[in-house]
Amino acid sequence: MKNKKEVTRRDFLKTAAVVVAAGSAKPMAAASPAILSDPSPGSTVHYGFIGTGTEGCSLLKQLTTIPEGRCIATCDIYPPNLKRGVETIGSNPQTYTGGPTNLSLSNSSDYRRMLERKDMDAVLIATPLNRHAQMIIDSLNAGKHVFVEKTMYFKEEEGDQIRKAAEANSKQVVQIGLQRRSSVLYNVAMQMIRKGALGKVMFVRAQWHRNNNWRRPVRDPKLERLINWRMYREYSGGLMAELASHQVDIANWAFGEEPLSVVGTGGIDYWKDGREVCDNIEVIFKYTGGRKMLYSSILYNEHLGFDEQIMGDQGTLIITIGKGMYYREAVAKVSSGPAKENWWAGATVSQAAAQKGMPIFPEEARGEDKGFVDREVLYAKRWLASMGIYEYEEPHDPKWSELSNFMASIRDGKPIACPIETGMADARAVIYGNRAVDTGNTVLWPAKAA
Amino acid sequence: MNQACGIRLARVRSGNRLHMFLLAGAAGPSRRSPRVCLLRKLSFLLLLLLGTNPPAQAADSLVRYEASHQAMGTVFTVVVYGSNRVYLEEVASQVFQEIDQLDDQMSNYKPESELSSINREAARHAVIVEPGLFRLIQDSLQYSRDSGGDFDITVGPLMKAWGFFRGRGRLPSKPELGQALKRIGYERIKLDAAARTIRFDDPGIEIDLGAIAKGYAVDQAVKILRDNGIRQALVSSGTSSLYALGSPPGETGWKISVRNPLDQSKAVCVLRLQNLSLSVSGDYEKFFKLGGKTYAHIMDPHTGMPVENMLSTAVVSPSATDSDALSTSFFVEGPSRARDYLKLHPNLTAILYLPAASGHAFKQIVLKSSLTRLPADAFVSTACH
Repeated sequence: MKNKKEVTRRDFLKTAAVVVAAGSAKPMAAASPAILSDPSPGSTVHYGFIGTGTEGCSLLKQLTTIPEGRCIATCDIYPPNLKRGVETIGSNPQTYTGGPTNLSLSNSSDYRRMLERKDMDAVLIATPLNRHAQMIIDSLNAGKHVFVEKTMYFKEEEGDQIRKAAEANSKQVVQIGLQRRSSVLYNVAMQMIRKGALGKVMFVRAQWHRNNNWRRPVRDPKLERLINWRMYREYSGGLMAELASHQVDIANWAFGEEPLSVVGTGGIDYWKDGREVCDNIEVIFKYTGGRKMLYSSILYNEHLGFDEQIMGDQGTLIITIGKGMYYREAVAKVSSGPAKENWWAGATVSQAAAQKGMPIFPEEARGEDKGFVDREVLYAKRWLASMGIYEYEEPHDPKWSELSNFMASIRDGKPIACPIETGMADARAVIYGNRAVDTGNTVLWPAKAA
Repeated sequence: MNQACGIRLARVRSGNRLHMFLLAGAAGPSRRSPRVCLLRKLSFLLLLLLGTNPPAQAADSLVRYEASHQAMGTVFTVVVYGSNRVYLEEVASQVFQEIDQLDDQMSNYKPESELSSINREAARHAVIVEPGLFRLIQDSLQYSRDSGGDFDITVGPLMKAWGFFRGRGRLPSKPELGQALKRIGYERIKLDAAARTIRFDDPGIEIDLGAIAKGYAVDQAVKILRDNGIRQALVSSGTSSLYALGSPPGETGWKISVRNPLDQSKAVCVLRLQNLSLSVSGDYEKFFKLGGKTYAHIMDPHTGMPVENMLSTAVVSPSATDSDALSTSFFVEGPSRARDYLKLHPNLTAILYLPAASGHAFKQIVLKSSLTRLPADAFVSTACH
């Protein structure tokens, strides 16, 4: 956030703005517990990193610019990934590997040995999904704070096991890697919903559409299951766990609850290449009050890409990482009794401005024909931002923000951006969603059905 | 106006809605505390976002229902009074559905519209036309004849040459202008009333109903309101054509303020209308500037140039089709010929705003028909500065 009294137009256009004052839109989960344990405020969090594959290295790259933490160890069962992780973080961590390069749970590799280190405060986990639960529990029991990539866990029963371990180690932070929870843009969107800008929110439509086989190249066929673990049910929840999990969480967040039930379908209908998980899923999550989320993920057309469309009776938000638009519905005004009528007549007013949405980040509208109100809102945002009381940009990649927040939760007791309850709700949606696709049945949330 | 917090808010009241437009960004020293100012500004932003009050339950028998709808490149607004909210909503929906159908039929922006089809084919062969559109084209040609061609629905090529069709305006070259002028002429439209067909004499001819269709749509909307028993309503098409049906409860006439052509946040004339329409043409919404000169979108079909010696015209008539067409016609014609027109045509009031001689913002001329025999239920009062 800039604190300058004056912001030049150039500065302003370079910088994204948000619509609602950030004083009430901090990317924090207010209900989360504040945790303060070792290390103390101001000290450096020493962490180990398990799983330095593609996603792991993506996180490590963000971590290179977060000085509050220092990577002292990395762990991976696949040597090329281990090497890549070391090169990415650049902090000369000790490496842990060994054992056969397979993904079965019996292969514990060396991560437990890594957990024995007393100089390690935290563990970050970005392994295949089937390994998450055991690694979280082991890390907690070893006294470490835990950051785990979404989806939080793989099998239904693992949720309670993790919860028990977390409760037994309640001073340790557990944060789930749903980075939208750390996005200023998404937090602003949720503030807009809470403040009524969308009216009564009844429907969320979301999709993650790609046009590729969702595979990684494998030089040696023996490594197929290691490299392409996402294709196999022994390790993976498929598109639901890897893609939908981000977006179902947005519906949960917007509706303020978990679903009641889910129906769905899907199949291996296009990429018939030996994979075991669907190349397309189409599901409907039902919430209380008839609210629903309609979701699809396909691997044979990418025209729609990925975003979430949150719809209320007074407006729509179309949002994804780095981009958000707000569209108002034309809503009738009803009142009783006579009103003081005073109408205006003048040259025809153009509908152009009314048709266009309002960008949450104003630079999206740059170069377009902006209407009068758009221009003036932009000035208002600029003024508020210049006063230093208004977040008007996504200051960092949300992945950076979530990792920075993790360190701050450990060091300074800041609220956890995505706590265990959020992760468990998300994991349930993934598990039940896949069950609905697999069985063709309506799957009910047990707690809500009771 | 409130400048104390560094923003100026123009409050524009219409009905029970308070429209607030922010007129300037950061400006001026604040006399209020920063916190108060912040709250006011945040409230303003939220007002912009939310825009509406939560729906109120009707506590008594009188319900006011107001809704807006985008069509014909602008926003139509309908406010109706009645006793049943659901019924009013259904009637308003029917009005908007009719306006959408007219837009689909008469738009020259939609290639699939009946008008676009006529424009493509009528130079090659006679095209049969839907009765409502046929009558509107007949009326349009009558306005053209009455105005000696100052009102002309074949002005489309000029609008394109000047970049006002799908654009924000541009200066055409002389050859472009010459080509466009060759393609203009209402007399090249031939109607066969018996066969209800249209034919163009020249392949370059095309019809643009932009100066009359919105008024026609307002009239059709009012017909639906009347047919459904509504007696107190107001219909506005983008503020340029309005019809006042009956009067609001407890009042005589709907209060309508005509915008000052030089400062649109101010009223230059306040009218009260009952069972009458008002249309306004102005050069301040659609124009472009080049080399210090302003070029507006209302064209003189004779010269091919934007009309320069008029700022705004307002016309009151029992028919919105009439007032819409005449506000454009008088804008091009100027006061002298408008006066001549009013000598021959009854029940009209015209207010013309011309660029003023030095020392004055503009010159206002109020003209009335020589003959006025309004129906007993019609009422007009004007209070102009």
